[in-house]
Amino acid sequence: MTVNSQVLDYIVSEENFSDKAVIIKEGNMGDWVYVILEGRVKIKKKTSGGLLTIDTLSEGDFVGEMAMLKWSNSTRTASAVADGPVVLGVLDSVRLGQEWEAQPTIIKKLISSLIQNLEEATKKTADMVVALR
Amino acid sequence: MTKTKVEIPPVVKLNYSKGDLIIKEGDYGTSIYEVISGKVGIFVESGETEARVAILGPGMIVGEMAFIAGKTSTRSASARALEDCCLEAWHPAMLLNAYKKIPDVLRLIAGQALKLIVRMNKMVVKLRLKEGQSRDSQTQELSDQWEEKREFYREKVSLECIFRPVNSSKDLEFQGRIRNISKGGLQMTVKTSGLFNYTLTHGDELFISTYFLLNQKVNMTAKIAWLKKGKTDGFISLGLTFIHMDPDDRKKLGFFLMK
Repeated sequence: MTVNSQVLDYIVSEENFSDKAVIIKEGNMGDWVYVILEGRVKIKKKTSGGLLTIDTLSEGDFVGEMAMLKWSNSTRTASAVADGPVVLGVLDSVRLGQEWEAQPTIIKKLISSLIQNLEEATKKTADMVVALR
Repeated sequence: MTKTKVEIPPVVKLNYSKGDLIIKEGDYGTSIYEVISGKVGIFVESGETEARVAILGPGMIVGEMAFIAGKTSTRSASARALEDCCLEAWHPAMLLNAYKKIPDVLRLIAGQALKLIVRMNKMVVKLRLKEGQSRDSQTQELSDQWEEKREFYREKVSLECIFRPVNSSKDLEFQGRIRNISKGGLQMTVKTSGLFNYTLTHGDELFISTYFLLNQKVNMTAKIAWLKKGKTDGFISLGLTFIHMDPDDRKKLGFFLMK
């Protein structure tokens, strides 16, 4: 997957992470949104049985979008850790925030709901994996 | 209010009794519902199994996934009233114009969320299946069920590992890097200088340990199936077939390979 040209337009800076570097820490506050320009990022979730890798994202995927689009707050729902060297594009949070706020309520509700579903599905999966151990 | 040429059907309020099906998985439909009162359960079906993936309450949206995925997609999950509830149904045309105007970046983010939800939901179904089976027969190994579907599936990895030949003293320890791993075996690269004077040969049995997750140590015993010069000078590449793994470790490998 390649990075969409529209997305490239939002990139204000690039950040390099080395293997295993923590990009986002679960539970922290923050609403920076990144797009993966190169490499892979593991999404990890805290569980009673330790840290669990629930997904691996690659080039063109977004990282950190959940905290930004959540209805409730900007707590990070999962950790993101570099899987090998990674280059991330930092998206213009002001522009993104303004564009998001400008959307009709109905659209915001729709996307927030989607993000919430993702959060729940992720949590559910992590819980089930731990319960089965 | 903007004028639209298409006449948008009015918002309707619908009442459902406990147990009623609101959306059926696999159906076509892009209507969106907002929960006004009561609780709605979201279920993903797989054969005879059904796994609940979410519970939605007042103010929450039901059915947005098919809308975002587009007209030609089917419902990815079923929605059922968990108690008597009232829902407001929105015709997709109400949202379509607004949705068309959203910036690409938001549309892409929504698309990614959709893709990940579908992936997670599939995993929940798989896990539920496993949960049932492990209850039925404790002896059956969790990972065995993956084997059928994922035969020969190899996961590309870059995992540091330590190993030693089975019949060597416990003080001997070499380092390698696992490049890919499957249910049947793994491939690793080893720095030749790190082997000192030890020679590895075809048929050698090795104890290997690595960490799948930060705190998840896994031990394996494997036999060298082939060895060749690595792509990089000073490295050799080894292909190994598992000959022993404890049930717990096998289970960990199963989860690790499951995506």
